Amino acid sequence: MSAATTAPRPGSGTTRWAPYLFISPFFVLFTLFMLVPIGAGVYLSLTDWAGLGSPEYIGSGNYTRLFQDPSFGASLGNTAIYTVFALAVVLPASLLIAQALNARGLKLRDLFRLTYFMPVVLSPIIIALVFGLIFDGEYGLLNAVLEALFGFGGVSWLTDPFWARVVVVVLVLWRWTGYLTIFFLAGMQSIPGELYEAAEVDGAGPARRFFAITLPQLKPVTAFIAVTMLVNTAQIFEEPFLLTQGGPGESTLSVSMFIYRAAFQRQELGYAAAAGVVMFIIVFALGRLSSSALGVGRTR
Amino acid sequence: MNLDRRQLLRLGGAAGLGAALTACTSAGDGPAIASGPVDLKLWTHDPGYADYFTAAPADPALVGGSAWTYTVDVTSIAPADIVSRLVNQAVANRPLPNLAGLVIDQYPRVMRADIAQSLFVDLTDLTEPLGDRLLKTQPYTVDGKVYAIESDNSVSVMFYRADLFAELGIPEDIATWEELLEIGADVAAATGRAIGMVADGDNGSIVNGFTQMLLQRGGNLYDEDGGLAVLSDESIEVLRLMAEGVRTGALLSIADPYGGAAAAALKGSKLIATVMPNWYKVYGLEANAPDQSGLWRARTIPAFAGGGHIASTMGGTAFAVLKDQAETDAAVDFLQRTYLTSEGQLARYGAGAYLPTLVDLYDTPEFQDITDPYLGDQRIFEVYGAGAKDMPDFYQAAGASLLRDSLGGPLLRAINGRADPEEALREGLRAYERQAPA
Repeated sequence: MSAATTAPRPGSGTTRWAPYLFISPFFVLFTLFMLVPIGAGVYLSLTDWAGLGSPEYIGSGNYTRLFQDPSFGASLGNTAIYTVFALAVVLPASLLIAQALNARGLKLRDLFRLTYFMPVVLSPIIIALVFGLIFDGEYGLLNAVLEALFGFGGVSWLTDPFWARVVVVVLVLWRWTGYLTIFFLAGMQSIPGELYEAAEVDGAGPARRFFAITLPQLKPVTAFIAVTMLVNTAQIFEEPFLLTQGGPGESTLSVSMFIYRAAFQRQELGYAAAAGVVMFIIVFALGRLSSSALGVGRTR
Repeated sequence: MNLDRRQLLRLGGAAGLGAALTACTSAGDGPAIASGPVDLKLWTHDPGYADYFTAAPADPALVGGSAWTYTVDVTSIAPADIVSRLVNQAVANRPLPNLAGLVIDQYPRVMRADIAQSLFVDLTDLTEPLGDRLLKTQPYTVDGKVYAIESDNSVSVMFYRADLFAELGIPEDIATWEELLEIGADVAAATGRAIGMVADGDNGSIVNGFTQMLLQRGGNLYDEDGGLAVLSDESIEVLRLMAEGVRTGALLSIADPYGGAAAAALKGSKLIATVMPNWYKVYGLEANAPDQSGLWRARTIPAFAGGGHIASTMGGTAFAVLKDQAETDAAVDFLQRTYLTSEGQLARYGAGAYLPTLVDLYDTPEFQDITDPYLGDQRIFEVYGAGAKDMPDFYQAAGASLLRDSLGGPLLRAINGRADPEEALREGLRAYERQAPA
């Protein structure tokens, strides 16, 4: 039997379907795990459903209720605070730390890297426990230190609405700065050394080199980190959930926590789905806008 | 083999249908097991219940004479996940357990949309004959029917440091809260010690602490029919008292009554008394201050001058039987034997110090003779018994979680003296009404 007789003829059934078969896994998985859940979520958001029995179609009732719900407004406001803080403080802080770690002749560089990266690998439960001990109003370490140094230490860190928000953003800062530092550091180490040498020859000082070389060269990395951080912080859940349970009152409640609460504490799955759809739209829009503004994925 | 598009679609469709049918096959269907060996599946969060239920089938005092011979297979699941997984499994037509332990603050989730009626066996036929003997059926009652049976009476009493009370000249038999707080204010001013605590952390802890005192005063969050009852003279009075206690330092504000701060307050003898349920002795006092064994005592709670009870209740876990399964009848029999008989209640206390829910048992010698070394060998059932006989009813409704989140912030402001108690309650109720589904 010759090879010519066993090879499928062009246009036969096998060759016609082969390309579709090869690309089908992506489409099957994308449909099953992305499109179907999104479609189901959108449908559920138009129903009243407690999880059991048939969902009852109520049209836009959940959305109307959602936009009149003060808790949802509070959760949107809190999430906005966390997101703005993450972009305005965490991002620059991680860039500066990366710059410091990238300095020539720095001793114990690996120890610093490990230290900054540690919060990311620690269990959130442990983090919440330790932060609870540090920021406890009555027996917390921070109040004890403040008392010893300045003579006042009665700050209700976790039980005052303002300070509770501050503690959550401090936790975000502590937890994510080191992680982002690693990205910036990797970006810095890929900047060609000749650029700095040339700038030095031209008489550029450290600040000039940072703004004229480091920052422009890091633009793709910065854009990627900014978009990732934006999208992640808009869905923040663990930090407020473990530290304050969204309290006191609803002062640290995030949108993700609002959804969790509606679904798994109140058994209002249709309502939770509506909040999920709104969050999806907001996050998607913010992600697209920021990607577009920062040129993520655009070739230089 | 050459496949055209139609054949490919047929093949895919047949494979998908096969997989879907296989996935939809539910275990547990089939004819009821009327006698003989039966393997019961149980979900609970508490290792104490797991130990009790797995040991029970070997105890002839509990299962002797039953038509079934039991084995119990326990799956440990977090409290909130038990309800979620029960609902998920039921929707997906996947295997359900035969018995499920439902923590009291999760139970309102199944009070919505007929979930309890759809999933659980109506146990009213077991509880009704016991009448007033059986305590704490109200929180698990939906439309007049009981769908779960409480494991632990969770009667709240006052635990106090007898040595420090004597040292500071605090009488052990103070009659009222008002007197206690007056003395507590003097003690706080002189020594920095507190005679009680209030939670000021998450909404659950804040509202639970308030509810415990409210029940004692004779108020409630909901009435018997599930209507809101939280705005009452009793609620305002309780909030005023809590605020006054915090202001004077008699009551210590602690974010988490079970966390590190509470442990530090106990170990440092800053907190020298606290009103908490019986289980707090094990999980709060003994766990955090084992070195203070013998120094603590328990008594009923000082009454409010305006009336109410000498005890309260907080927390609990009830067991429900899943309906329409081959093992359902056996599970009901097993639950009755282990939970609603004198032998079962005594065995349960022995296994995990779970207090009886049959109120007359507190007076029997088996319980009356029990002494507690941590409480200075006190005959503890003299206290628990007095408390159980005057324990207030506690009602829940489907919106309990929403109510908790709506009240948490305003209650905290009132407790900290930053809001008028009545206005705080009204604010919480306004938030509740704005968010409650129509």
